[in-house]
Amino acid sequence: MVDHNISEERLNLFIDEQLDSDEMDAIHKAVLEDATLRERVCQLKAVRELVGYAYSEVPPSRYENEKNKRIQPGFYRAIAASMLVFIGVLLGWSTYGYTPKAVKAISAENAFQYVANHVTVDDRQRKIVLHIDSGDIKVVNAALHEADQLLATYRKANTPMKLDVVTNKGGINILRDDVSPYLARIQKLIEDDDVTFYACARAIQKARKKEGADIRIIEGVTTDKTVRQLIPDRLKNGWVYIKA
Amino acid sequence: MKIVKNLVAALSLKSEFAARRNKLYRIAYAWSHDSALSDDLVQETVYKALKNADKLRDIATLDAWLYRILYNCWQDYLRVKGRNVEFVEMHDSEQADQSDNYQQSQIVKRVRSSIEKLPMPLREVVTLADFSGLSYAEIAEITDVPIGTVMSRLYRARQNLKQELLEFGSDNLSELVLRRVK
Repeated sequence: MVDHNISEERLNLFIDEQLDSDEMDAIHKAVLEDATLRERVCQLKAVRELVGYAYSEVPPSRYENEKNKRIQPGFYRAIAASMLVFIGVLLGWSTYGYTPKAVKAISAENAFQYVANHVTVDDRQRKIVLHIDSGDIKVVNAALHEADQLLATYRKANTPMKLDVVTNKGGINILRDDVSPYLARIQKLIEDDDVTFYACARAIQKARKKEGADIRIIEGVTTDKTVRQLIPDRLKNGWVYIKA
Repeated sequence: MKIVKNLVAALSLKSEFAARRNKLYRIAYAWSHDSALSDDLVQETVYKALKNADKLRDIATLDAWLYRILYNCWQDYLRVKGRNVEFVEMHDSEQADQSDNYQQSQIVKRVRSSIEKLPMPLREVVTLADFSGLSYAEIAEITDVPIGTVMSRLYRARQNLKQELLEFGSDNLSELVLRRVK
C-alpha cells in the first residue's frame, strides 16, 4: 500500500532528488497513482522552472558590453592573454600582493583564466574527505547524494579521485549493520567505487557505553582511528574537506 | 613542454570561465536586481578569487568556491547598506531599453516580482538552487548555514512563490513552462 499522504517538504526533497532511492521510488509510485499528488509535484516543478527562467536573460553587464565593442583579433589575442596569465603564474603573480589596482586593471576573463591555470598546474591526485556527524536522514541523504555526484563528476572527467567518508557522533549509525537503512548503498560505494568509510573509534566507544551493548559496524569499515586523527591528517596532506 | 601544456590548458578553459563569469553575474542580478551593482559584485569576486587563488585546492569545487565569494561580497554590501535595503527602488532603469525581449513577458515580470517579495535569505537560497542548480550541500556551504536550514528556506520560498504565482493564473504559467520544455 503506497502512502499518498506526503508533506510538501518531502515533495520538495523529491523533486530535488534529495531522498534515498527507496523513498524516491515510493513517492514516484504514489505520484503515478494519485492525480492530486501529481498536480502538486507539477506545481512545485513549475515554480522551480520559472525561477530558473526568470533570470535566464538579464541586462548585459558592463563587461559584456565592453567585450562586444572590442575588436576581436582572434587567436593571437587569445595567445597574448594566455601568455600574460602564464607569465603571471611563473612570477607567482608578484603584483597582486601589494598593488591591488594592477589586479583590478586585469580583465575578468584573464582573472578567471589565471585561477583555472593555477589550479590546473596542481597535478596532485584529487582527494576528498566527506565528514558525516549526524544520522539525520536529510543530512545522510544529502551526503550520499554528494558522494555519488562527486564520483560521477570525476569519472566523467576521467580524473582519478579518492573519496574517504569519515563518520562520528550520530553519523556512525549509517555504518551499523543492525540499524542502518543505507547498507546496500554504502556497500556499493565501498565495492564498486573504492570509497573508504571510517567510523570514529571514540564515537563507537561512547555509543557502546551509552547503549550497554556491542556496536556492530559493517565489514570493510575502518574503526581504529578517531575523527580527530583522521580529518586533520588529511587536511595537512592536501585533501579537500566537505562537511555534510 | 610545461609552458605549452599550461598555455593549452589556459586556452581550453577560456570559454568555460567566461561562462562562469556570466553565471555569477546572473545570480548577483537575481539577488540585487541591479546591473551596475551586479557588475561590481562580480568584479570584487574576481579580485578576491585572484587574491586567494592558492586556497582553491580542487577545480571541481571552483563553482561553489566562487559562489561563496560572491555571496560574501553580497553580504558585505548588505551589511554596509543595512539589511532593510528597499529593493523595489533598485530596479534597473536601463532594463527596458536593453532587453525588450524578456521584459515584454508579463510572466517573467510576475515571477521576478514574486521573488522580490521573498525575504532575502529565502531569495538567496531559491535562486542558488533553482537558477544555479546547486545541491543543498553546496548551498549550505556557500551560505554558511546547516543543510536543514537550506531545506526549510527552500521549502518556504517555493511555497510563497507557488501561492503568488498560482494567483497569477495557472494557464499562463503552464504555457511558459511548456514553451521552455520544447
